[in-house]
Amino acid sequence: MPATFETSFAKALLGAEATFPPGIAAHTGAVPARRFAVYRNNVMASLGAALAQRHPVIERLVGGEFLAAMARQFVMQHPPRSPLLAQYGEEFADFIAAFEPARELPYLADIARLEAARTRAYHAEDATPLGGDGFAALDAETLGDIRLQLHPSAAILRSPFPIVTIWAMNSGELELQPIETGQGEDALVVRPHLDVEIRALPPGGAAFLQSLAGGRPLRDAIGAALADHAGFDLTGNLAGLIGSGVVRAILSPAERTP
Amino acid sequence: MSSNTVPARTALANATIAGSFAAALAMIAAPAFAAPKPPQPTMDKCFGIAMKGENDCAAGAGTTCAGTAKTDYQGDAWKYVAKGTCASIKTPKGTGSLEPIKS
Amino acid sequence: MPIAAHLPASAGVGFKPEHAAAILAAAQPIGFFEVHAENYMGAGGPPHAQLTALRERYALSVHGVGLSIGSTGPLDRAHLTRLRQLCDRYAPASFSEHLAWSSHDGVYFNDLLPLPYTGQTLARVAEHVDEVQTALGRQMLLENPSTYLDFAESTIAEVDFLAEISRRTGCGLLLDINNVFVSATNHGTSAMDYLDRFPLHRVAEIHLGGHDADTGDAGEPLLIDSHRVAVADEVWALYREVIARTGALPTLIEWDNDVPDWPVLRAEAVAAQRILSGAARASAA
Repeated sequence: MPATFETSFAKALLGAEATFPPGIAAHTGAVPARRFAVYRNNVMASLGAALAQRHPVIERLVGGEFLAAMARQFVMQHPPRSPLLAQYGEEFADFIAAFEPARELPYLADIARLEAARTRAYHAEDATPLGGDGFAALDAETLGDIRLQLHPSAAILRSPFPIVTIWAMNSGELELQPIETGQGEDALVVRPHLDVEIRALPPGGAAFLQSLAGGRPLRDAIGAALADHAGFDLTGNLAGLIGSGVVRAILSPAERTP
Repeated sequence: MSSNTVPARTALANATIAGSFAAALAMIAAPAFAAPKPPQPTMDKCFGIAMKGENDCAAGAGTTCAGTAKTDYQGDAWKYVAKGTCASIKTPKGTGSLEPIKS
Repeated sequence: MPIAAHLPASAGVGFKPEHAAAILAAAQPIGFFEVHAENYMGAGGPPHAQLTALRERYALSVHGVGLSIGSTGPLDRAHLTRLRQLCDRYAPASFSEHLAWSSHDGVYFNDLLPLPYTGQTLARVAEHVDEVQTALGRQMLLENPSTYLDFAESTIAEVDFLAEISRRTGCGLLLDINNVFVSATNHGTSAMDYLDRFPLHRVAEIHLGGHDADTGDAGEPLLIDSHRVAVADEVWALYREVIARTGALPTLIEWDNDVPDWPVLRAEAVAAQRILSGAARASAA
């Protein structure tokens, strides 16, 4: 079947210029430019709104007008490829990083990454995190060789900007106040149960978790954390590892080599 | 803490890891950790306090089978200036300036 | 294929997560809830927890908004698989989709876009409906759209198009009375004429929603199917007329944008229920 009406209609929906496809009509006999504009507006406004809903902190940081204008550019370059709107905007952070009008807000892209990770965690597979009991009976002899399976919702983000503080101050968690220092922060995003949680990781914590997430044994992960930050606090990080619910299971050496 | 002094190059003794595990489990069991803490994420030990934000926002967009009556303003992004809370954030790599950005 | 009316012939409401606490806190006088399929296609998390809780207490209708049944191109098989998994998991009383398209060449537009009504598009849509019903192993309902423009190449009236699709595929029809009113206004036709010609015996569910007023290119009225306000009086009047002819039918209140507090939405459902109950009493008398 020829796809003529659909092809030209689709092209006109996302074009930069306000145009309309051939073959459309209105009972008044007038050229139905405004009528076609309803569809064009539905597409742009709804996809812009989808990006805004996924990035409420970005909206708060730059304001609704700026976000809408930025979203319009993004939608034209990266329209959705799936009807699962909650996943729309995976490329938004990279787009922001290269978006000239946002140049003076260099932390904005990392905030978008944090917000995108939050949505992924919200919709991630459910899994019961391993509690303290699960760690209590480990064999001291092989402890360095264990590998950990992290929670399916877990994401680790590293940033040269204070992304957790910026996020927290713009999502009702912390009082809004000036940030002057700009110390970088690493974030852990995880949904151990129904609520997505964001935590600021201590020094070396991100390297530690990334190594574990990569399937490395605990001993290697500790080495990676120490290489990243000489003052890595193993006890504190283990407490965080267990307390945050970021571990789903312990994979013992025996399980790996049947 | 003893774990802080382990050199990265030498293999970590299992006993050292076990000691840290025991201490970590004791920390988690301590009542101080169960109590509400002041919201100072960057100051907190371990993995910081768990912040939830508005969890509805974490859902992302819901679908609609309706059109919209709100007209999407067809402005040019480069004519816009960020007007949100970004004004209060100053980082070494960017000022968060509110000056219009020339195209 | 006879029309299997699995949903209760009472008033239901489109479920919004912001109402979950109010709905689950105490029994609500709601016949069923309808959800958009695409919002429950993630792996886990609160959406599935809420839908599971809802399903335990109420009849459920799954309403797709992204299958693009009106596309000239093939259906998205991956999406069809996701729909089947969702229907298998929650065993809804009803599955419905729209006479519209929303994807083209892999791009999803997030809007219900119009198609010309011709012999060719009719054959294509009928194939797609067949494919959906086969994949899901159940009858589906097809909904009449709100449209804002016509196509010069259209040769078939929308009512005849829908009637023929239903006849060929055995699918049921979802009659959106707000869409009927919006489209009739937008095309300068009569909503009552449309309803007079509509195959009401194929209708298994009714939708009622709100619209906004705009103007077209010649200053003529142009209504937008916005679902962000209460159901209009004219639409209530058409609804009463339809129910008087059909008897009670499952009826959904749709409110998707600027979603109000639960009591406001519930009041709309109660208003629809009053009309349904009146029809039931009239037929019993």
